[in-house]
Amino acid sequence: MFLKILNYLDGYVTITLPEECLEKFVNMATTRGIYLWGITNAAGNQVALNARLRDVQPLRHVARMTRCRFHIINRSGLPFFIGKLRRRRALLGGALCFVIALYALSSFIWFIDITGNQSVTEDKIARVAREAGLYRGAPKRSLDTAELEKTIMQQVNDLAWVGVSVDGTRVLIKVVEKVLPPDNGEHPVDIVALKDGLIKEILVLSGHPLVREGDTVTSGQVLISALIPPPEIEEESKPNAAEGEAEKEQQLTLQYVHARGIVRARIWYDVYNEIKLEEQVTKPTGSEITKLCMKIGGKEIILMGPHQVPYVHYTEHRDVKRLPEWRNIKVPVEVITVKYTEQGTYTNKLSRSEARRLAETQALDELRSQMPSGAKILNTQVREVKTAGEEDIVRVRVQVETLEEIGMEKPHQQDGGGSGIVDPKHGNQADGNQNNH
Amino acid sequence: MAWRDLKNKVKRQFSDVLDLPGDIMLDLPKIVLVGNLQVFIENHRGIQEYNPRLVRVVVNDKVIEVTGENLTLRNIMPDEICVEGQITGLIFLS
Repeated sequence: MFLKILNYLDGYVTITLPEECLEKFVNMATTRGIYLWGITNAAGNQVALNARLRDVQPLRHVARMTRCRFHIINRSGLPFFIGKLRRRRALLGGALCFVIALYALSSFIWFIDITGNQSVTEDKIARVAREAGLYRGAPKRSLDTAELEKTIMQQVNDLAWVGVSVDGTRVLIKVVEKVLPPDNGEHPVDIVALKDGLIKEILVLSGHPLVREGDTVTSGQVLISALIPPPEIEEESKPNAAEGEAEKEQQLTLQYVHARGIVRARIWYDVYNEIKLEEQVTKPTGSEITKLCMKIGGKEIILMGPHQVPYVHYTEHRDVKRLPEWRNIKVPVEVITVKYTEQGTYTNKLSRSEARRLAETQALDELRSQMPSGAKILNTQVREVKTAGEEDIVRVRVQVETLEEIGMEKPHQQDGGGSGIVDPKHGNQADGNQNNH
Repeated sequence: MAWRDLKNKVKRQFSDVLDLPGDIMLDLPKIVLVGNLQVFIENHRGIQEYNPRLVRVVVNDKVIEVTGENLTLRNIMPDEICVEGQITGLIFLS
């Protein structure tokens, strides 16, 4: 390897000479310390061999002494290549131009990527960056990433962090947006019921309660209103005042707050479940087979594994591997590993009591998934539903009573959800709701 | 020549006793075969014949004949020859 590179740098020639004088020629050359290699037969009783460029003159001497003529048939190596290039100035110039153009163009920015933005548009960031001197075709030397980061941070309000990194001719602007805390107190918020239920206890921290303990509520109904009506004393103390004026005053004293409070209610859940005593179930048998195929364009080529799945019932799991996309180029080659797992069917037999227990636990699990995490179970009732005829099926109805928090914050609507303006004492309102229920 | 034989005998015994390699002491060729693809012959005295089926290399007082197919001399240096090709045989001719 090393010798080959050296020979290439030195330059070497391939010469041919008649077969009959090869031995004399080679022996004389080697005794003079001339390195020869690659001696092979050439066409027409000729032998070809390689020798270094600097050994050509001594070889001529050897040839004269041995009285054989040799012909140079090929010249290779760096010295000849340079000579060739010297004759082709345009090629050399073109290569030089290419290198210079590549170098010159790589000192500009050609791609600007913006990542991490969700609510701020890319255009906005790009516009700010353009004003700060980062645009397509901007020279890389004039780019000051730290300065740019600072400018973008100042000009775009909703950003918490900006990072600008230069990667070759690509500039990557990474942004992290500010996460603003939710509004509190500024907009009026009601507490509404999340579910239907019977109010067990209500604790108002701020706002105006519209329901009392013992009331039945439906989901979506306002429990604590954001609108606080004017104090009643005012109305009573000024019975003689002009009605218009009183109304005006009432309007002025209306106050909107962010309602807060805890509302606990009794909620009933009802779930029905049935379990068959005899059931067909499928289970993996443990035998599986893997198929490896390659997808090129629309064609699928199976590299390894069966052409047809040898199982009657099976599930398949596909794992597709492909090359990562680069810029706009997608390589349409995928390697797909498909794993087939055989499924066997069994008959599962249960006794009546087992089935009932299973149905119960399943029903309770389902109920638990419906309940919020803070719910307290007050009462559980399990009933087996019996039908007239004897069946191979167990039916179970489970009823659970819980105590849970049902208050949920919702923006206040001016005329929605039965506001307290009409009747501050809420008597009618509550009655109406109970009637609806 | 009795004198020369005696000299060689003494030399061989000497190298046997001292465990010296024969190629240095007795001026013998060292031949390395790499499978049937290459033969390296060190300590040669030049080539005697070459064609793609047969290469004869002169060593000390013998001739080594390498037979095979498509034989080429990969390189020739003053002390080493490398023959490449499909080698079928290697014979010493005295």
